[in-house]
Amino acid sequence: MDVKISRIPEDENELVDIRCHKETDSVREIAAFVRSRQGQLTGSLEGRQYAIAVSDIMYIESVDNRTFIYTSSKVYESKQRIYELEDILKPKHFLRISKASLVNLMKINSVKPALGGRFSAVLSNGEEVIISRKYVSDLKKTLRGDET
Amino acid sequence: MSFKEHLKSVMSLYFVIVTLINAATFILGEIFRPDERFGYDAFLSPLIYAAIALVPMLCMYSKKELTLKQHIVRELLQLISIEVILIFFGLGSKSLEPENIALTASFALSVFIIFVLVYVIAWLLDIKLAKQLNSELKSFQSRVLEMSE
Repeated sequence: MDVKISRIPEDENELVDIRCHKETDSVREIAAFVRSRQGQLTGSLEGRQYAIAVSDIMYIESVDNRTFIYTSSKVYESKQRIYELEDILKPKHFLRISKASLVNLMKINSVKPALGGRFSAVLSNGEEVIISRKYVSDLKKTLRGDET
Repeated sequence: MSFKEHLKSVMSLYFVIVTLINAATFILGEIFRPDERFGYDAFLSPLIYAAIALVPMLCMYSKKELTLKQHIVRELLQLISIEVILIFFGLGSKSLEPENIALTASFALSVFIIFVLVYVIAWLLDIKLAKQLNSELKSFQSRVLEMSE
């Protein structure tokens, strides 16, 4: 696939136009990457692709090498790996809270102790996600505005 | 949780256990053997007992995130192992003699109370940390919202 970049006047909307013979997985991955850079992720639900606003995401979890994006009422599957999403979403106030999950810090209502020396984050929709002890110091640093 | 983190979290309980063993020794000693006197080597006993109590906790490490049920089963197994090991280490074969039943039962009860207290203390420390995290979380969210307005 050739890549062409053209400069356009300031008053025109910027657009990424993918011209392909078939909408393959790699084409979808490129589209997902472009969306992720602009505050949207791509997720599939019941065989259909959706653009999900990052601000609507509660948390992201990896289960058996599959990545799931949780909003307040829906669960989408993403083709991106959790570490890729961690890199993209770090500036959007997402933080790794266990080996398999990222949480939107703006969606946490409170933090409480859980069994086994862990903590639990209570989200704005009432769901709870586990914060591993290992990531508590990263959480503290991020909340204080220190570099992690 | 990695083994290193597990080790760190278990070791952080060590001195809590030492303090509670000292308190239990004082109470049991006052009840059963108030006239007994010890040498300086007695100061080592709480340190040794606490180290022994940590062994089952270290051995029952699991790399997997345990469910609530698995967690409860693990804690029960740890309590039973600690009871058995400490009773035989502390009282030896005397623990099974009929005249020592009251002492053995009190010893077992003390181990149980210390086990529970260790968890209560760890839980209280976690509540304190959670309060601190919640206040920092609220400030963080306000800062981000102010910046985005």
